[in-house]
Amino acid sequence: MIDPRPPAATHVKRRFTWSNIGLYATVVVLSIALLFPIYLIFLIAFVPDKYTLFSGRPPLIPPTLTLANLQTGLTLSTTPFIPSMLLSLEIAFMVGGIAIGLGIPTAYGLSRLRPTVAYGLTTILFVVNMLPSITIAIPITVPFIKAGLYGSPIAIALTQELLALPITTFLLVGAFQALPRDLESQARVDGANRMRALYGNLVPLVRPALVAAFLLSWMLSWDESTFALILYNPANPTLPVEIFLAFTGRGNPDIAVAFSFIATVPVIILTIFLQKYLKGEDLAVGVRG
Amino acid sequence: MDGARRNSEAPRHVRDFWHRHTDQLIALIFVAPALAYVGYFAFYPALDTIVLSFQTPIHPFTTFNYEYNVGSGLYTWIGNTLWLTAGALALQFGLALGIASILSRPFRGRSIFATIAILPIGIATVVAGFTFSQIFPGTGSGYANSILEFFGFGPYYWLNSTSGALAAVVIADSWKNTALVVIILVAGYASIPQSLYQAAAIDGAGPLRRFRYVTLPGLRSFIVIALLIRGAQEVNIFQMAYIMISSYPQLLTVQIYVLYETAGGLYLASAVASVLLGIVAVFIVLVLVIGGRR
Repeated sequence: MIDPRPPAATHVKRRFTWSNIGLYATVVVLSIALLFPIYLIFLIAFVPDKYTLFSGRPPLIPPTLTLANLQTGLTLSTTPFIPSMLLSLEIAFMVGGIAIGLGIPTAYGLSRLRPTVAYGLTTILFVVNMLPSITIAIPITVPFIKAGLYGSPIAIALTQELLALPITTFLLVGAFQALPRDLESQARVDGANRMRALYGNLVPLVRPALVAAFLLSWMLSWDESTFALILYNPANPTLPVEIFLAFTGRGNPDIAVAFSFIATVPVIILTIFLQKYLKGEDLAVGVRG
Repeated sequence: MDGARRNSEAPRHVRDFWHRHTDQLIALIFVAPALAYVGYFAFYPALDTIVLSFQTPIHPFTTFNYEYNVGSGLYTWIGNTLWLTAGALALQFGLALGIASILSRPFRGRSIFATIAILPIGIATVVAGFTFSQIFPGTGSGYANSILEFFGFGPYYWLNSTSGALAAVVIADSWKNTALVVIILVAGYASIPQSLYQAAAIDGAGPLRRFRYVTLPGLRSFIVIALLIRGAQEVNIFQMAYIMISSYPQLLTVQIYVLYETAGGLYLASAVASVLLGIVAVFIVLVLVIGGRR
């Protein structure tokens, strides 16, 4: 069969030309600018704070290295680190779990609905993603207080889920649509009901997308701080809220330094892993119309 | 199961409707839990905010909350928020167009650069805000001034003027979020057929004219949608601004938080939150109208 695509206009020139040098110069300058703040997170974590937070002209190259900042930040009894980290972990796993649990049936349903209906429902999820968190967070405190859930991990998880569910659903809809329709009919003919066909036959085939959706939701929750700030339990805030409070007046900047560093390491690894799943089509559903 | 359905007392037209649309109705049942969830946790609170904005503890309906906020400078907060949004969109669009055009061509090290470009998405907003507050602190120190001094300039007091403070937040936010625009524009680049470029090259169009007459028209809808989505998220910018500049200059989101934290400020906060919701609604409607037209 003839490849319908035009001949690849993409053969790599190995020679250095002036336009290549311009390209590489731009890439290097942009890379330095993009990496600089991440470098600072590490620098501020491992350099004595008289050279960073409390310096009139902080040096860009570390004069000496220390573990004292992390030690101070992690051992202060006023803001215990371990409970905050455990809470952030607990909430992030809840958000990831709910995203998968609710995302699978939603995405499956959307992939089976007529395009016009599916588009309308997708639009609703898309709008949810754009609503201002702080506008939603304030009134939602009232039912949570009534239900005795204010400040509980599940309350924070259920609100953060608003950010995770739409992107999870868009990712999974794509995965379900990519499966051949016959697979499901085949399973149904063999006597499986719709639930068995979905969970027994289809879900195992979209496992990579499920993993990606879970991790992306996990990361959104790990980083989220607006809902967590409005709904937090003062006795035990999440990590981002601790960083926020430590830096906006109620605490010690060393806490912000140490917590920032520790919160950042897992997401750098996750982002590198997840980058191929971050697709423009999923972020801009409107474009597909 | 089947027998029970046949013997059920349901009126004939209901049964007929069910039989004709079984597949679609079952698909709807699968979607229903998610719809109930977003209805209760997103749309109901959003409407509740608007209701609360017209109430006080003693008045069932009043416009007092709006009048009070207008008196405290609501229009300035809106103005600052819109300036910040415009600045951030301009910077992010320019950077993203450059980065996406670099990523849409093959070169050695491309995948490493793609990873570097996307990394800031993973950094938590509060961490980014904290880090940039060390780059642009309220005093004449900070890493931005260390760099300026290295080149023989400065020091510059970034946060001493409204425009300087907004610019600092625009730079911080663009560092974190430009990658979202890049991702959308890269998808746009991928949607432009290579044959168009070849045809244009055969007709003698140079790189600039190919960009003007092939790339830009091909990307147009992606650019518009990316800017509108980012615009809606930009007016929501909160922690980054609060950590870096606190209440100077005042932004809508920061004022909502400050009012909410004040005793009895729930209703006043709801009024500002409703204004914010209104601005976001404009962006949403534009996305749907423009996105739906294609």
